Amino acid sequence: MSERPGGPAPEEGSRESGEELTLEARLRRLEEIVTALEAGDVELERGLHLFEEGIRHIRTSERLISRAELRVEELTGEEEGTRTEPLGTDARQ
Amino acid sequence: MSGRRQLGIDFSRRVARQATEPAPDAPRVWSVSALNRAARHSLERRFPEVWVSGEVANWTRARSGHRYFTLRDDEAQLRAVMWARDAARLPTDPLEGMKVRAFGSLTIYAARGSYQIAVRRLEGEGEEGLWRLAFERTRAALEADGLLDPGRKRPVPRYPASVGIVTSLGGAALHDILTVIRRRAPWTRVVVRGSRVQGEGAAGEIADGVRTLGASGEVEVLIVGRGGGSIEDLWAFNEEIVARAIADSPVPVISAVGHEVDVTLSDLVADLRAPTPSAAGERAVEDGSVLAEVLLRTRQRLELGLRAQVSRRRERLRDGSLRARRAIEGLLAPLGTGLEHRSARLERAVSELFAARRAKLAAVAGQIEALSPLGTLRRGYAVPLDRRARVMRTASEFRAGEPFVLRVVDGRIHCETLRVQEEADR
Repeated sequence: MSERPGGPAPEEGSRESGEELTLEARLRRLEEIVTALEAGDVELERGLHLFEEGIRHIRTSERLISRAELRVEELTGEEEGTRTEPLGTDARQ
Repeated sequence: MSGRRQLGIDFSRRVARQATEPAPDAPRVWSVSALNRAARHSLERRFPEVWVSGEVANWTRARSGHRYFTLRDDEAQLRAVMWARDAARLPTDPLEGMKVRAFGSLTIYAARGSYQIAVRRLEGEGEEGLWRLAFERTRAALEADGLLDPGRKRPVPRYPASVGIVTSLGGAALHDILTVIRRRAPWTRVVVRGSRVQGEGAAGEIADGVRTLGASGEVEVLIVGRGGGSIEDLWAFNEEIVARAIADSPVPVISAVGHEVDVTLSDLVADLRAPTPSAAGERAVEDGSVLAEVLLRTRQRLELGLRAQVSRRRERLRDGSLRARRAIEGLLAPLGTGLEHRSARLERAVSELFAARRAKLAAVAGQIEALSPLGTLRRGYAVPLDRRARVMRTASEFRAGEPFVLRVVDGRIHCETLRVQEEADR
């Protein structure tokens, strides 16, 4: 789940579509993009591309953190047979 | 002959009578079993519960789990036994010669006729005694495997969207952690694995919870812990299986056991030690207002970054255009005035080329403007933000008397709502 520090180089544009990226990965990717844009020359097309990708990550992240209701689930079962279900309200107060 | 028989009969009759109904003045003769039994009863009645201190000697652990040993001081010794059920609660076996306090009842082991103490509780003399010994033994084992190496500690994610918790479902620790996460990062998905956190079997359940939740792929970080208690209550978190499960976890683990002063082996192997469960919640998730601010700043940096790219290119284009014109003039000058019209055509072509590129740049700049809230702010608009730095869009989000921040293009103004008036037709 956690990636090695440094992560993929900004040159790789392959991960930008990933709707399943974690918030953590998204923010790391944003940092790469910003660093690339701030650092110096990128092709104009690519710069615009990175910029748009960055805006997408920001919007997705903002949408994620605007969720106001904490979800609490319980993991039951063993090994392969695990599943999650909402945790009873008694522990959530 | 007959006299002897008579005598014999008399004798046996007398013995029989004595066994059933002894004469009041005759000495009582016991069977060994009966005597041991009677002695045992009076010993047990006289010393039902007793504390005794001494040094441990000849400690033996039977396959059945019972422990046999001797307690002694300078002048005397006492046989001792600790049955498996009681011995299971020992944090560890004592060292030979260790000074201990034993609690139990005196009894007699009838089969051997030996007197002994059946120990129900055994404590080392001095601060924490056996617990300290057990702690150091396990610690040494973990250290030998390199599990306490600081280099093993992984960074804990800063912005996890999913957090796992292994603790008691009814405990105060879970309540505290959830309260903190709900306040700071209500978008989080929390997955809890319930487990006992003290008493027999607790260590196994905690270790199993860490393994199962860690391997489930459901969470980005794990919190393992419980609220405060005695050293005995917290003991499961010093058990080797728990420490090893934490060390093996595929996701980073934050430990939160008891209070600030309690340091367990779980704390030592975890990637991060939080002093309390509440603190673990704080370390696990970043506050929403900080995250909103990070996103806002990132958006600004994105825009400024791209703008810088564009203006750099614009400058270079201008330089390029100028250089091209000079180069053309330089090329054509020696050929004389007859070529004027050709030079003009060439220049026009070059100008058109650069104009096309300029138009493209302008389009990019336009797109930045369109996507940019900074552009909007620059035109004189302002954005109100609540205390979590979230944009406030409707009148209903304002409360009279409550503060908010007005974000303008070059800073923020701290404001307070005087009165809220909603438009009737909306």
